[in-house]
Amino acid sequence: MENIKRTAAAAVIFSAFAAPSVALAADAIKIGVVTPLSGTYAAVGQPVRWGLELAAREINVAGGVGGRQITLIFEDEEANPSVAVQKAERLFQVENVDFLTGMVNSGSTLAVGQLAERNNKLASTTVSFADSITAEKCSPNLFRFNARAEQQSYALTSWLGKERPKAKVFGIGPDYEMGRSSVAALKAGAAKNKVAIVGEVFAPLDSKDYSQYFGQIRSARPDTIYTSVAGNDTVRLLTQLDEFGILRNTSIVGSSGTITSQNLAAVGKASEGYITGTGYSPKLDTTENKKFVGAYRAMFKVDPDLFAADSYSLLYAYKAAVEKAGSTDTDKVRDALRGLSWQTPEGEKTIRAGDNQAMQPMYIVKISKGQFDVVGDVRAEDAIGPDQCTRF
Amino acid sequence: MEIVDYIQFVLAPQMINGLALGIAVILVALGLTIIFGLLDVINMSHGEFYAIGAFGALSLALVGVNFWILLAAVPLLMAPLGFLVERLLIRRVFDSKDRHVSTLLLTFGLSLILEDTLRALYGPNTHRVDAPVSGASDLFGIIVPNYRLLLIAIGVIVICVVAFVTYRTRLGAVVRAASYDRFMTSSLGVPVSWIYAGTFAVGVSLAGLAGVLLAPLYSVFPTMGRDFILLAFSVVIVGGMGSIWGAVIAGLLLTQVQALASLVISPVWTDPIVFGTMVVFLMFRPQGLFGRIGHA
Repeated sequence: MENIKRTAAAAVIFSAFAAPSVALAADAIKIGVVTPLSGTYAAVGQPVRWGLELAAREINVAGGVGGRQITLIFEDEEANPSVAVQKAERLFQVENVDFLTGMVNSGSTLAVGQLAERNNKLASTTVSFADSITAEKCSPNLFRFNARAEQQSYALTSWLGKERPKAKVFGIGPDYEMGRSSVAALKAGAAKNKVAIVGEVFAPLDSKDYSQYFGQIRSARPDTIYTSVAGNDTVRLLTQLDEFGILRNTSIVGSSGTITSQNLAAVGKASEGYITGTGYSPKLDTTENKKFVGAYRAMFKVDPDLFAADSYSLLYAYKAAVEKAGSTDTDKVRDALRGLSWQTPEGEKTIRAGDNQAMQPMYIVKISKGQFDVVGDVRAEDAIGPDQCTRF
Repeated sequence: MEIVDYIQFVLAPQMINGLALGIAVILVALGLTIIFGLLDVINMSHGEFYAIGAFGALSLALVGVNFWILLAAVPLLMAPLGFLVERLLIRRVFDSKDRHVSTLLLTFGLSLILEDTLRALYGPNTHRVDAPVSGASDLFGIIVPNYRLLLIAIGVIVICVVAFVTYRTRLGAVVRAASYDRFMTSSLGVPVSWIYAGTFAVGVSLAGLAGVLLAPLYSVFPTMGRDFILLAFSVVIVGGMGSIWGAVIAGLLLTQVQALASLVISPVWTDPIVFGTMVVFLMFRPQGLFGRIGHA
């Protein structure tokens, strides 16, 4: 793996230098990527990195962005907001990057968004779910290119309401911005779709032993458990639920980032039957997706997941916006991004001008025999709620 | 019927789980309480010795060493480390005027160095150690993972062996005498300073053993020492500094309080209950439930 990554990175760098010098191509466009390369969310940062590297290579080989090559500069976010801010500050101030992305922890995304505003630069996330990022805590300098908690929960609960109308759902979220937001979104979606929520509990990020939370789950007697943990937390939570026999009479549903290609093998048999509302599955039957999956597999020897697809798509949106704006100037690129529609492996995405949130079709995905089968979909307009951003 | 069902489905699993956690905490607290009871040293680096035990298990398991051999090998390998720490570091400040403060600062500094050494050697990520047994047992309708049952069984044996050696053997009597009055004991021809170093080594080995046993449950990562040490200190304080049975009873009590409280409040909020109990004990019964080994 290390070799493949290195080769890929070398390919990106090499193609940056080897490009024919066009009159415009004075400098490369530098994009900062602050993403977790170690810790609980390393399994999330990895596909973010790979998705961006693949898109950068494709764009650079095809002549770059308006003739300028893309250079990616990576920093380890460690899924820790204070680390993310330090690294982002360095990228903005020292590396003078034009655009920043990669943050996974929703707290990091919010903090880096404020930092981008102070530096008059643009930042974005392709992973963070917390609704507040493009709602009450929105920033004119912060864009979200992935589906947020509300879109996922709406898709999931509308499916539950239809397929399992008598379900009794218990929510477990990681105890920070994202977990709280995703369980709140679940409750809102459940109310709309008449699904019963029988309890909720929050465990700190990176919890090693979830068994102390099982007492509350047992007392509530749910038949369905919703969770929005991700990365290695998923592996521990689901393995322990299985060990303690709770999965014998409950089924698991959850957020789109909970089980991905990255941790599927480690989760093992506890993943069977998992259902989520998500923006992506590697099995989506479209031309764009088949091309993307083929290229990704060829480069990294694994299937892409949601995070890889969203990060890959981001770079094409940025390319379109910069070419439309004719520069990387913050104000011009911001204007160009707002209202932008572009084709992605996930279907057509549009950045809503009012809150910088991507709208996209949502899918119901069920894991069976290690495959992410698409069992339903929801139109982009139905899944997204009203624009709640009042700052711009 | 509903009450029976509640006990079987909700209460009993929670209490058994609390028992497994209790045994885990007692295993960590055992070494701590022995070192305090005999040497009068508050060992702040105990959590890091626990972490070293877990990393030792991880490294040896990677080269194919069987789990059952690890249970003996890791504590044996860690004994010389404990011995050297006592001889080279603790001894230098042991006779200073304010022994408590100087040994506390020394071991705290050591804990920082050890934690960073682990981070430098193994990186910041969490590692998994596979449990030697998998699956779960069905005890009267209560499903308990087998490894937790094994942990409880081994834990009980270790606790009984340590208590037996301390209270019922000649060696234990010599050690207790050395801690009660070291001048009188040495005048009777007992090599007291070697007893001290040996006892410290045993305490460190026990921390290492706890590391091996808990690695499959709680994963292995450089800062793991911090997770248990606060709970272990509370257990030692509530049980009575230096008392083995005190630590056992306090460990079982506090973890049951934690397990049952987490049925009604968020488990995150059970820590304040545990530390609150510790503060109450420090205020009204600073000697804890029981005395200390040397004075018992």
